[in-house]
Amino acid sequence: MFLQQIANALALSAVYSLFAIGFTLIFGVLEVITLAHGAVFMMGAFAGLIAVTKFNAGLASTLLVSMIVSGLAGYLIDLIAVGPLRKRKFHHLAPMIATIGCATIITSTYQGIFGAEAYRFPFDFVPSTSYDIVGIQLTLLQLIIIGISLFLMVVLIFFLNKTRWGKAVRAVAENPRTAALLGIPVEQVFRLTMSISSAFGGAAGVLTGLNFNTIHTFMGGPILHRGIAVIILGGMGDIRGAMAGGLILGFSEILSVAYISSDFRDAISFGLLFLILLVRPSGIFGKVIERKG
Amino acid sequence: MKLFLKSLVLIFGLIIVATFSFAAEIKIGVAEALTGPIAKYGVPIRNGFTLAAEEINAAGGINGNKINLIIEDEQGKKEEAINVFKKFIFQDKVLAIFGPTLSNSAFAADPVANASKTVVFGTSNTAEGITAIGTYVFRNSIAEADILPAVVKTSKNKLGLKKVAIMYGNDDSFTKSGYDVFKKAVDAEGLQIVATETFAKGDIDYSAQLTKIKSLKPDAIVCSALVEEAANIVLQARKLGIPESVNFIGGNGFNSPKLAEIAGKAAEGVISGSPWFLADPNAKNQAFVKAYKAKFSSDPDQFAAQAYDALYIMSEALKKIKLTGSIDSDRDVLRDELAKVKNYNGVGGKFSFDANRDAEQKGRVLIIKNGKFTVYSE
Amino acid sequence: MPELITSFWQTYNTLFYTVFVHGMLALSIYITLSCGQLSLGNAAFMGIGAYTAALLTMKAGAPFGISLIAGGFLPAVVALIIGIPTLRLSGVYLAMATLGFGEVVRVVILNMEITGGSLGLNGVPLKTELWHLILVMGILIYFFIKLRNSRFGRILEAINEDEVAASVMGIRATYYKVWAFAIGAFIAGVAGGLNAHFTFFISPREYGFEPAVDILTFAVLGGTRTLWGPLAGSTILTILPELFRFLGPYRLALNGIILVLVVLYLPNGIVNRDTFTNLKRFFKKEENA
Repeated sequence: MFLQQIANALALSAVYSLFAIGFTLIFGVLEVITLAHGAVFMMGAFAGLIAVTKFNAGLASTLLVSMIVSGLAGYLIDLIAVGPLRKRKFHHLAPMIATIGCATIITSTYQGIFGAEAYRFPFDFVPSTSYDIVGIQLTLLQLIIIGISLFLMVVLIFFLNKTRWGKAVRAVAENPRTAALLGIPVEQVFRLTMSISSAFGGAAGVLTGLNFNTIHTFMGGPILHRGIAVIILGGMGDIRGAMAGGLILGFSEILSVAYISSDFRDAISFGLLFLILLVRPSGIFGKVIERKG
Repeated sequence: MKLFLKSLVLIFGLIIVATFSFAAEIKIGVAEALTGPIAKYGVPIRNGFTLAAEEINAAGGINGNKINLIIEDEQGKKEEAINVFKKFIFQDKVLAIFGPTLSNSAFAADPVANASKTVVFGTSNTAEGITAIGTYVFRNSIAEADILPAVVKTSKNKLGLKKVAIMYGNDDSFTKSGYDVFKKAVDAEGLQIVATETFAKGDIDYSAQLTKIKSLKPDAIVCSALVEEAANIVLQARKLGIPESVNFIGGNGFNSPKLAEIAGKAAEGVISGSPWFLADPNAKNQAFVKAYKAKFSSDPDQFAAQAYDALYIMSEALKKIKLTGSIDSDRDVLRDELAKVKNYNGVGGKFSFDANRDAEQKGRVLIIKNGKFTVYSE
Repeated sequence: MPELITSFWQTYNTLFYTVFVHGMLALSIYITLSCGQLSLGNAAFMGIGAYTAALLTMKAGAPFGISLIAGGFLPAVVALIIGIPTLRLSGVYLAMATLGFGEVVRVVILNMEITGGSLGLNGVPLKTELWHLILVMGILIYFFIKLRNSRFGRILEAINEDEVAASVMGIRATYYKVWAFAIGAFIAGVAGGLNAHFTFFISPREYGFEPAVDILTFAVLGGTRTLWGPLAGSTILTILPELFRFLGPYRLALNGIILVLVVLYLPNGIVNRDTFTNLKRFFKKEENA
């Protein structure tokens, strides 16, 4: 049973991490907690659903479509709501409130279109093959999800470390003013970051929709809530932190159900978060410098 | 600022004008959650009401008076429910109110209606103590305590159950009260409980709980969950290799066409109980399902059926009274007449109010076969 | 006409009550924001206050005033206890720690016997009247006006401007921050108690993540420079959805649009530093014209 629970925790952690990476990257670069990330996640799931049901898309193109749609949404959110605020002096929480507004607009429009009920991908869109490996049940889908998540994370890390634009993103994250002096188009980097991060949110959405079979307008709420915990655990703005945070939250949820009590699962996860913050105020990988905002 | 004040005056003016029009109809308020996460229950309920109202009006109304449903969104929030109820009672001056969607909201809003001596008729409130709020509170949603014990008993006898595992949502009053009833029933049948696992609203992953349950090898899994959660739990259980011989025994939330739609083949053998089910061959139900599908292009669920029946039950009472136009006395007369409704034959079978204005209706134990609920035992 | 007014009041009194309660909640976060601390624990404090007050009236038959005060004190004491370690954190870390705390509170209430768990607490007697709300709000406004010119108020402002500098000047920042936190918890607790006594029913879900964010939105949308900002923000955000009821399913979308527009065009809140000068200028123009 223990090994099965580890496998369960890995599959859950993969989705948490994938969701949190974009979330944390936005904070690292723009210093904004974007509370629209849950809505963007939901948009990704619906985009994938439509790609499959209306256009018979395959797995790869479904993933691509949902990443494009969510990435576009992130681009628009930055263009309309977050970007204009950068140019002016504002209350440091104003962008976050603007993203709450965006989330409300997106979810209520989607509810107007799709209603509040749940949808699912067609059966056998991914063959429901199950593997029995030394008593551990793993579905093909779980393996795919873990695989895709890892792949996307590696691609992102490669992008950030090895490409010109990726390096620009990192430079802006360090210090936008210096980056601007070095000739980096800071404004474009901000918008690129929002788009890429949102695309990752969309990928997490479509994978969640695939694995857990419930796509609905409000699916972004609970994951947003957990995503916040994940990026805090790992240290805000740090990609490795988001991955580690996703693992910690996934494991803490699964193991507290397995060995303590499902009644206290959320209290344990968030109590853990509370304690980690007290011991290491800026999360596991967080910079020790305290910053406002 | 001036413009804002002007528009404010205008809006209130419009509201007041609206109050004076439509005086000749029977005004009934429908307060359901039409936006937000609870809308998945509120919308079918509203659909059930609008379908019934259209049918009644098309057939000439009640004693010549047309029914005018005033539908408002209460978002599944208690303050909103209270606001809507007050708007219905004091401004729209409705004769009676249907709703709200959640028991939680009913606990907050029903006292308002009761204090103003206005009938409030819940079609989806299953929590204990709803009708105890006052003598103006009615409901036709069958309490889980009336049906789940029979479900457990039948399952035990037919499947020869000895030990079961229980799973329920512990942060939701609907699923929690379902669990309380199940627990009692399981104890009364002398079944051994090998595990009690909980989950929270909005959860998507149940693998930890199910892995634990799998290792304890129960004969069946008793589960109190809302339909999307239920479908997911059933699916994940089969994926984790819990054999099909381990049936799921579900509460009220399981009785929805969505279950088989989402869970597919995994839903086979799910046992539940309800007075109404989609494939019920009785002619009245077939006509309802057909009309509903034609109008809303989806299958009705139990909530829609109960709402549909509720308006007909209300019209049974309305037929017998003569409306005077004095809203206070009309409301009183309606209350008394509604309490007398007996043996109304609806889509969910014969219906009567008991002495506490709760539903008295025979439930049936159901099982999913070939993707559809069918009768397991009368 | 009087009949119209009565029917209007009967219809909308709960809405007005809610405006007052939301105003108090907005003020409860305003005091922590005014020393630069972003606490998202106020929904949880409201919950502790609501349950304490409701249980005292229901189970112990305590007078309403006592219940309310106790409903303020218990959250304040909890805030003192958790505030001492937590308030070393700042910015989003504090926000998230308080959010984590809120989650723990919600789960504890969910698993307690006396609170009714997820079934909630039903049958809370109707005790709150308009004058209670006006009185409490009056006291709060008086308190915040006095605070501005007091030593405590100036210290909070100093911490907000520059915590390091304030510490160098010998101000024990954490000490004052904890007090501001506890006062905020007290206010939120009283607001919770008042709310419980006119809505007949409370359940753990009302004090979770979303209300915590709502409270913050009240304050930031309204503006956090003066106490009028949070009050304006909470009033507008409470009344708007009711005014736009006729829009049906899209009324929440409109809420979102307004939120975005206000933040874009008034990024420092509806009531900001320039509001009063602008107002004066506006009325002067009217006179001249």
